[in-house]
Amino acid sequence: MTINNYLKKERFFLLSSILALFSLVSCQKQPNLTFGNTYVGDNNGANIVLVDTSTVSLFTLFVDSTSTAGTGFLQVGQYDDPYLGSVTSRAYLQIAPPSSPSVDVNDSYDSIGLVMLFKKSNPFYGDTTQIQTFVVNQVDSLYQLGSFQSGFNSRSVLPLDPTPLGSASALIAPNIPYTSQGSGDTVKIKLDDNLGHTLWNMIYNKSDTVNKLVNWLDWFHGICISPGTGSKGVIYGFQDSATMRIYYHKAGVYSTPAYIDFGITNKGQQFNNIMVNRSTSPLKNLVLPTQNPQTPPATPSSLTANASYVQSITGLSVKLTIPFLNDIALRPDYLSVLRAQLTVRPDLNSFSTSWPLPPQLTLYGTNLTNVPQGLIQGASGVQNGNLVVDFLHPLNMVYTYDVTSFVKAQITNTDPTAKQNGLLLEMSSNTGTSSFARAVLADATYPVNQRVTLSVYYISLYPHN
Amino acid sequence: MNKLSIFITLLTVSSLGAMAQGNFSPYSQLGLGDLEDGFYNRTSGLANTGIAYRSNRFLINNNPASFSAMTNQYFTVETGIRGSVTNYYGTPVDPSNNQSGDITFRKLNMGIKLSKNWGSSIGLVPFSTQNYEFNVPYFLQGSSSEIANHYYQGHGSINKAYWANSYEFFHHLSIGIDAGYLFGQLDQKDILQNPSTGASLTSTTNTVDLNNLYIGYGLQLYGKLGKKWEYSLGATFSNKTDLFASTNRVVLASDSSILQNQELSQTYLTLPATYGVGIALTHKQKYTFLADYKHQAWDDVRSNTYTGKDYTLGNSDKGSIGFEISKKKTFYNSKVELSYFQTGLYYGTSYLQINGQQIKDKGVTVAFGVNSLKSPLAYSIVLQYGIKGTQANNLIQQRYANVTFVVNYGALWYTKGKKYD
Repeated sequence: MTINNYLKKERFFLLSSILALFSLVSCQKQPNLTFGNTYVGDNNGANIVLVDTSTVSLFTLFVDSTSTAGTGFLQVGQYDDPYLGSVTSRAYLQIAPPSSPSVDVNDSYDSIGLVMLFKKSNPFYGDTTQIQTFVVNQVDSLYQLGSFQSGFNSRSVLPLDPTPLGSASALIAPNIPYTSQGSGDTVKIKLDDNLGHTLWNMIYNKSDTVNKLVNWLDWFHGICISPGTGSKGVIYGFQDSATMRIYYHKAGVYSTPAYIDFGITNKGQQFNNIMVNRSTSPLKNLVLPTQNPQTPPATPSSLTANASYVQSITGLSVKLTIPFLNDIALRPDYLSVLRAQLTVRPDLNSFSTSWPLPPQLTLYGTNLTNVPQGLIQGASGVQNGNLVVDFLHPLNMVYTYDVTSFVKAQITNTDPTAKQNGLLLEMSSNTGTSSFARAVLADATYPVNQRVTLSVYYISLYPHN
Repeated sequence: MNKLSIFITLLTVSSLGAMAQGNFSPYSQLGLGDLEDGFYNRTSGLANTGIAYRSNRFLINNNPASFSAMTNQYFTVETGIRGSVTNYYGTPVDPSNNQSGDITFRKLNMGIKLSKNWGSSIGLVPFSTQNYEFNVPYFLQGSSSEIANHYYQGHGSINKAYWANSYEFFHHLSIGIDAGYLFGQLDQKDILQNPSTGASLTSTTNTVDLNNLYIGYGLQLYGKLGKKWEYSLGATFSNKTDLFASTNRVVLASDSSILQNQELSQTYLTLPATYGVGIALTHKQKYTFLADYKHQAWDDVRSNTYTGKDYTLGNSDKGSIGFEISKKKTFYNSKVELSYFQTGLYYGTSYLQINGQQIKDKGVTVAFGVNSLKSPLAYSIVLQYGIKGTQANNLIQQRYANVTFVVNYGALWYTKGKKYD
């Protein structure tokens, strides 16, 4: 072997050894190591601290009227709510004859009635096991807005003829739906035959009153459907397709039954008048507006049985403030808010299948004006809380909101008015004007797992010593 | 010399690339990390037993007094590369993913015999290494139900650039001093993650720059015991030293915006006094028996800034023994070593005591080395198997196998035509 060959072999051995080293380990990957939570390093790194003990102050806001016109439902009934008092709703509406109605001389009038429909998805609230009486009165004045009014609302009333046109009683099973009158989802109220005969003659005589809408509305202003005296337990929202119907027999070889419908007209002017008597309820101390217009007054929960109340249709909403939120930012380890979650828990005793909660409560920001200042957006936009329905575990029935943006802005806000900034809960706009569902929200006097809580997750880092 | 430069450059570049991979050592998070106790030299096959070892060709960093043993006017360069495979055991380890491997450049140093009695060496060697990544799920402070995950990451090393000199007195005594400069950077991340999505919630990165002078002293006493035996006694000492540490801390939010970027006040980490003694006995210049004992007095620096939950510092001790068979051939009047075989055993305790358990390290080494007659190179392959730590008390045990490749280049310089004494 020459020296050159020897050196070549030596170099080959050298390079082979190095390559062997690389190939030995090049295909390996790093292990997955997970220590138990008792292991803590000494990096002094940032941590996440949860503070869910911030005081959340609750206030019930009250506006004395809400828009109840043109909601699509005739809300009629009365119930006694142990939390909100006695709630009564009446429906005002205008009806009109069909175009060019006519009857023959040999046709015979039978009767007149009001036909109301209750569809399966219609709103109702209360105890549906009780028979309800519905009374129909004629509006006794022009069906029009008063001075300085821009629309009918929950406080609007029109004078009524004290003599009812008719009344009827029925038991309604709203989820089927079925009424005890045996005619499916229909409630029929027989009306005064004097009115029926009058209308029959007008139609026969082709009176302008039934052929011209203006004349008709001057003569027949409208009707009001009210719960009968002693009728309690529930409010039903009937379809706004109710009709006043004249039943007659059409003459012929064989007399055949027929009818003429006077349907609802000016549906935008149909409104529900809602009256609430809170004098014996926890809301008897509710602070009421004293001027008009006035920002909604706020009643602290301490004056209303340590709870606040949301029922948009009766003008109730809840304002939440976090008066000591700034204190979190003053902690020595506070660095930044990671996220914040608001958990709204209804009073456990306040809801049941008879007193259901609103399926959604929309969250707004508010300030000292107590009016909504814009939606509090979450990661997916508008936040409605989306109630978790779990009657088996009622503690799980909560509304939750991502309030990170609000808390981030508020936690270091030292403006003198900042403590009046807060969050406002209302029923969502699509149900707030037609549903009597309500939420009773417990304040800080309740146990932690039964009250409204704010969970602030902040990034914590203790100053370096 | 050009070939030498190319050789060194290639080795360095390839090794630096390889350093990107690194075996996790979970407890390197604590203190200064894993203190390097290997020298990647002629003594590696002897379980790094070499405080009393003297060599006329190889750089024995174990004791700075050894450099005076080099052949006169001798110049040498040494580098070492280590490949390692580690298996992890214990409760925190996922059994289906418990192995890792790496290959790392370990050192580069040079030595020269400046005069008949004066040997000198400069080089770059690792001092400690930090390399870990692991998860620690924990309950959020203030919550008994919500969990976040600490994902700890740490990478970095402290290296030592040194200039060591030794001088021989009376043919039997050598005294050495190792003037080192410790420097390095440790990047430590603590990433808090959403345990279900893995998304970062916040992260803290501490970048620690460390540096200071670090002086070591060595002594060797050697001679003959009769006609067949030679002896060597060695001792090393390093005084307690403060290692200055400046830390920059950056805290990021979940959207990577900077919440804090702070230069923390400078502190220091104290390195303890270390002592080492060793003995070597050689029979007929062929068989060498060696033993070392080292002690690090961490108890004396317990009050410094090495703080942490569930762990404390304790004195570190290490004992090792080695045995070497050297095959030599006589050329003219000189014996020239052709190859050698080494083996060794070691057992030691780490300076870390975690969850009441002091981390122990034990293992065995075997090496075979060849000194080329036809080239200025010598190289050796060292195999090592060891067990570090315990599975008790929820700790992790590492079982590792290393293959170390040490290459030495040696030449006589400036001889004025005179090659041998």
